[in-house]
Amino acid sequence: MKELVNFFHEIGKLKGMPRRGWVINDIKNPESIAEHTFRAAIMAWILAKRKKGLNIEKIIKMALIHDLCEVSAGDTTPYDPVLPKSRKKRKELMKTWPRFSDSEKKKIVQEKYKKEKKALEGLISKLPVNLKKEIKNLWLDYEKGLTPEGRFFNQTDRMESFLQDMEYWKKYKKPPQRPWWLWAREFFDDPILLELIKEMDNKFHKHKKPKI
Amino acid sequence: MVQRKSFYLTSKGLEDIKKEYEVLKNLRLAKTKGEVPKIWESEDLNPEYLSFQEDLNFLETRITELENILKNIELIKTPSKKKRDAIELGGTVVVEVEGDKDEFTIVGTLEAKPSLGKISNESPVGMALLGHKVGDEVVVSSPIKTIYKIRKIKY
Repeated sequence: MKELVNFFHEIGKLKGMPRRGWVINDIKNPESIAEHTFRAAIMAWILAKRKKGLNIEKIIKMALIHDLCEVSAGDTTPYDPVLPKSRKKRKELMKTWPRFSDSEKKKIVQEKYKKEKKALEGLISKLPVNLKKEIKNLWLDYEKGLTPEGRFFNQTDRMESFLQDMEYWKKYKKPPQRPWWLWAREFFDDPILLELIKEMDNKFHKHKKPKI
Repeated sequence: MVQRKSFYLTSKGLEDIKKEYEVLKNLRLAKTKGEVPKIWESEDLNPEYLSFQEDLNFLETRITELENILKNIELIKTPSKKKRDAIELGGTVVVEVEGDKDEFTIVGTLEAKPSLGKISNESPVGMALLGHKVGDEVVVSSPIKTIYKIRKIKY
């Protein structure tokens, strides 16, 4: 029980950790990592029901654990490798989508994976063996897209962020929408999620189309 | 298990899937005999396989998934020389987007890894690029207009 209390205490820190993507866009009181997880899990559950044959319990568990590694690894964003310190330059950068060479892409992906894997292993190291295995395997499935559940949640996770982005844009007129759309149209390919994007666009951009 | 009509795979993707399937089948066999397979001593072993070693359910799920893929695979073939001037599945395209250069390989959903430049043929950009040639400007417009200028196509 002592190990469980320690684990619950550790993951509780995610409730107070703001997501970096919003912090670097100067969003007031940005959502925490735990808040993102909450809605990602509900979206995954409900949207997965629309797909034939997915294991819903597995997807919900995957959603709940997918960002636990961030307790110590922290949250990363695609802008991190090129993020300037100056606020003015950062604001300019946020209007664009960062593009990298093939070798840079590989390096970024590998470093993030290594850092997060190490962090997760540390976090769960004292848990009972079966629980440890379950969490690690769910995370690997999500990261590597090993099963239909892993591949679907990998996209649903990002969809939650995209929805939050549109909500912030509606409220604060930031983050700039152009880079999000550039990314989204290259990233998503699941038919149900593509349909959801259309509806989100109708809801949030109906009266005012984003220019940047 | 989600059943698809077919999975488009490049020959490299197929090779990886076949290799993983063989490794995992050997592992399952060894586990039923209570042995530690020799493959675990190999240095080029994918570290993810170790998780399968620890968890038989995870191993079985992955083997079933790989069998489903291998049963329904459609191999992406390199187009004939005549057709290589257009973007087809498996092709790599160098584009200019809003002043930046980027490179994408158009693959099936199973191999898609957008963070590594592998874009799904079912994504809006992947779909839009297919069939275009060097010099074309491909417009993806909903809701923000973006122009992808095609600079180079490779196979």
